Amino acid sequence: MNPESIIAAAALLCFGVVISGVAFGSAVGDGIVASKAVESIARQPEARPNIFLFMFLGVGVLEAVPFIAIALAFYILLVVAKVPQIITALVK
Amino acid sequence: MQEQIGEHILWHLPVLGPVHADTIATTWLVMVVALLFFGWIGASYRSPYMTKRQAVLEAVFNYIADLVTSVLGESGERFVPFFVALFIFIFLLNQFGMLPFKALGLPFGGSPTADLNTVVPLALVVFFTIQIVAFRKKGLSYFGHVLKPFPALLPINVLDEILRPITLAARLFFNIFVGELLFVIVTSIILAHISIGFFNLSLGVAVVPILIQFFNFFVGTIQAFVFTLLAIVYLSLAVAEEH
Repeated sequence: MNPESIIAAAALLCFGVVISGVAFGSAVGDGIVASKAVESIARQPEARPNIFLFMFLGVGVLEAVPFIAIALAFYILLVVAKVPQIITALVK
Repeated sequence: MQEQIGEHILWHLPVLGPVHADTIATTWLVMVVALLFFGWIGASYRSPYMTKRQAVLEAVFNYIADLVTSVLGESGERFVPFFVALFIFIFLLNQFGMLPFKALGLPFGGSPTADLNTVVPLALVVFFTIQIVAFRKKGLSYFGHVLKPFPALLPINVLDEILRPITLAARLFFNIFVGELLFVIVTSIILAHISIGFFNLSLGVAVVPILIQFFNFFVGTIQAFVFTLLAIVYLSLAVAEEH
C-alpha cells in the first residue's frame, strides 16, 4: 500500500464528513428558521412582510457558514491533498 | 478545455504590483452599466408624469429607505443614498457572474465579488463609515463603548468590533465563490464522461447548470440584501443612545 492512496482515502473521508455535517447542520438550522416563521405568521398574519424580511435575513446570515465549510472542504480535497491527480495516477 | 477558478488575469502596474485585471475590468463594466441605467431612469424625471420604470425603481428605493428609517430613526434619512448605492452595486456585481464573458474568451467576466479584493474594501468602507459617523456624533466618548458594561470585557468588545467587517466580507465572498465553484464541479463531471451501467451521469448532470443559475440569482440577491441590512444594523448599534 503506497502512502498516496492513504492520503487520498483520508482526504475523501474528511471531505465526506465535512459535507455531511454541513448538510445536516444547515438543514436543521434552516428548518428551525422556517418553522418559527410559519408559527409567527400563523399567530400574527398582519406581520407577514416583517417576518419574511427577518426570515431571509436569518437564512442569509446562517447560509454563509455552510458555504464557507464547503469551500474549505473543496480546498482540502482539490488543493491540499490533490485527490483527482492521485486517483488518475493510481488508475493508470 | 479545463475550467479554472481562483485564477485571475494579472496586470503588472508600476507602483501597485500585480492586480487582478478581470476583476477590475468587470467592476468598471458594472459601473458603466449602472450609470447608463440610472441615466436612462433619470431621463424619465424630465416628464411631468410618472413612468412605469420610475415606479418600479422607486419601489426598491422606498423599501430600503423605509428599512433605514425604521432601524435608525428619522436621523438616518441622510444615509439612505449610501445604503441604496451599496445594495444596488453589490447586487449588480453578484449578478454579473451570470453573463458568459469569460467563456467567450474576453479578458473579463465572472463575479467581481468572488474575489476577496472586491469584498474586503466594501466591508472596510462600511466599517470606517460607521466609525466616522459614530465619532462625529458622540465625540471621543464613542470609544468608551468598548468598556461597557464593565472594563474587563475590553478584549471581547474589541474583537467583536474587528470581526464584524471580516465576517461581512467572508459571508459575501464565500457565497458567490461557492456559486462559481459549483459550475466548475459540474463542468468537470460533464467532461469526465462518466456512465454507470445504462445511466449516463454526465448527460444527466447537463441539466443542472440552469438550476444552479437560478440558485445563484437567489443567493446573490439575498446576500446583497443581507450585506446592506447588516451594515444598517451595525450603524444603528454604533450610533444608538445610551439608556
